[in-house]
Amino acid sequence: MSQDEKIYQRYLEGERPPNYRTLSGVELKEFYTAEDAPREESPPGEYPYTRGIHREMYRKRFWTRRQQSGFGTPQESNARLLYLLEQGQTGLNVDTDMGSKLGLDPDHELARGDVGLQGTSVTTYEDMEELFRDIPLDKVSTTLIVQPPYSAVITAMYLLMARKQGIPESSLIGTIMNCPITQLAGPAFQAATHFFPIEQAVKIGLDTMEYCVRNMPKWNIVNINAYNIRETGVNAFQEGAFALSLGADYVQRLLDRGLAIDDFAPRIAFFTAAHLDFFEEIAKIRAMRRIWARIMKERFGAQNERSCWFRTAIQTAALPLTAQQPLNNIVRATVQTLAAALAGTQSIHTTSYDEAFSLPTEESHKLSIRTQQIIAYETNVVKTADPLGGSHFVEWLTDRAEEEILKIMDTIQNKGGFIRCFLDGWVEEQIRDARHKYAREMEDGERLSVGVNTFREEDEEVKIKIFRTSSDMQQQRIEYIERYKKERDQGPVERVLEQLYQKAEGDKEANLFAPIMEAVEAGATMGEISDALRRAENFEIPV
Amino acid sequence: MPPAEKTITKVLLAKMGLDGHDNGITIVAKWLRDAGFEVVYAGLYNTPARVISAARQEDVDLIGLSFLGGEHFYYSEKLVQNLKEEGMENVKLILGGVIPPEDVDPLKQMGITAVFTPGTMRQTIIDSFQTLAK
Repeated sequence: MSQDEKIYQRYLEGERPPNYRTLSGVELKEFYTAEDAPREESPPGEYPYTRGIHREMYRKRFWTRRQQSGFGTPQESNARLLYLLEQGQTGLNVDTDMGSKLGLDPDHELARGDVGLQGTSVTTYEDMEELFRDIPLDKVSTTLIVQPPYSAVITAMYLLMARKQGIPESSLIGTIMNCPITQLAGPAFQAATHFFPIEQAVKIGLDTMEYCVRNMPKWNIVNINAYNIRETGVNAFQEGAFALSLGADYVQRLLDRGLAIDDFAPRIAFFTAAHLDFFEEIAKIRAMRRIWARIMKERFGAQNERSCWFRTAIQTAALPLTAQQPLNNIVRATVQTLAAALAGTQSIHTTSYDEAFSLPTEESHKLSIRTQQIIAYETNVVKTADPLGGSHFVEWLTDRAEEEILKIMDTIQNKGGFIRCFLDGWVEEQIRDARHKYAREMEDGERLSVGVNTFREEDEEVKIKIFRTSSDMQQQRIEYIERYKKERDQGPVERVLEQLYQKAEGDKEANLFAPIMEAVEAGATMGEISDALRRAENFEIPV
Repeated sequence: MPPAEKTITKVLLAKMGLDGHDNGITIVAKWLRDAGFEVVYAGLYNTPARVISAARQEDVDLIGLSFLGGEHFYYSEKLVQNLKEEGMENVKLILGGVIPPEDVDPLKQMGITAVFTPGTMRQTIIDSFQTLAK
């Protein structure tokens, strides 16, 4: 067929979707009526919070604009954080590089090539001070993207920095992600187990949560990373079920430590994805709110209404963004951001259009913030809570999402909970199957992506500005850490590391947060503290 | 008698350094297996030395590496150099992942045989591996 014939054929045949299913496989009918959703939902701000956790929602406070950021040296990242705040970002979301996330200093052989690439390099207390220079810790809420056991080290650095500035721990606002199972590019078993024994990581995560619950009332103790799970290719219902099941596991383990449900439950939060299926994503979030509220009240006996609030940060999914025709991603991310807002999220990260090439440039970062600001300030979708509530279709789809999520949660519970399922490899199996299905659907055209498997332009020349880290950054960081180790007072560092090792090795029940904090204070590095903890578990990184 | 032909082509796939993004490489592994290749997947967190020793042990002529974190130059340079030092210049390196288009030519000049950027369709990858395996 010639190009012209193709053009007219499209009109004559009528353009149609390839199927009538949602991205997660729910079959849809022509239209929905009151009969499909006969129940009247409680108003926003009332149990089970399907319509949102606040009655007034964005009328009283917009969602937080919280773009993830981090690259290069802590000094370089600090400049970007200040830039983002200047552009109207209202919360920080700081990502560390892979070495910092895996407890390896920049001079470790395996870490050298990744220094400062996927986040910023934070390995000493000094680094943390550089990263947050000129940022008021009690006025800006900050999310720190690190998982246990390394999250304990990063939290300790953050607390020491606040202490030094005279800011009480009780007025710190923010979040430590603190989930060892969901953090590393989804729950890839090897990623979560290669550098530290996973069960001990979970334990140190709980140690950190316990410390935070007792000392930091405004701090979120864990942020379950459903987003990274979703990015592996699983569907919306698996995302919901995996995250909620894992949340319930953490609740149970904190109860087992003797903490009271209403003392810690209000500090548990989630991080979810907004994929491209507009209504399904909104339904998923509404269903997750309803399910979490019921679990907290009915299963765990929560009395405080805040314990029943499913609070979530949303990042617009990067998986459907394309390297082809990258400006199209601005449109995708806008639709996804709108879905997140209509779902009633607490904060949004709008993924940048250059996601398929590199970390965001200043320019693309700013555009993400502007996207959110245009939706918040210009479209009026913020002026009433849960504007889609009562739509026959949305309410029906919310019920369907709840049903599908609960089905998977039952399976997980029967297998002993999410952590058990993860350790047994069941989660990885589910992910593998989902990835293959996703790839197959893209190949078959069941899942359409404009610019990739439809309306593709062969020999397209991409002309966007691509972010680059500074050329000598890795060498700088390696030299810094070598110099740091040489110049500091070695005696106290060795003493605290030995104490930490003794504690971790000798008393398997002991909360390790305080000794980790002492080690940070004495000048031990991320890699050294992690090594002491590894040694206590008799664990060696496989080579 | 003509020399016995290798009927099944064996390839080694690996992730280097600390980048844990393994969606793409696991999908490519499946595509290649389904297309008749024997795929040895070395998983995450490899050093150049480990990849080269695996390549020798498994006797492969093609190594596929996936980079999503911007570490493609760092490791490509080391691998090309180490292969040379080991007298294994015949082994071809193929890259995939989040690699800016402007980096493709410099990578090829460095000695990388092929680079696949995001959105490459299955058949393109299989065809290329088949051609390179000959």
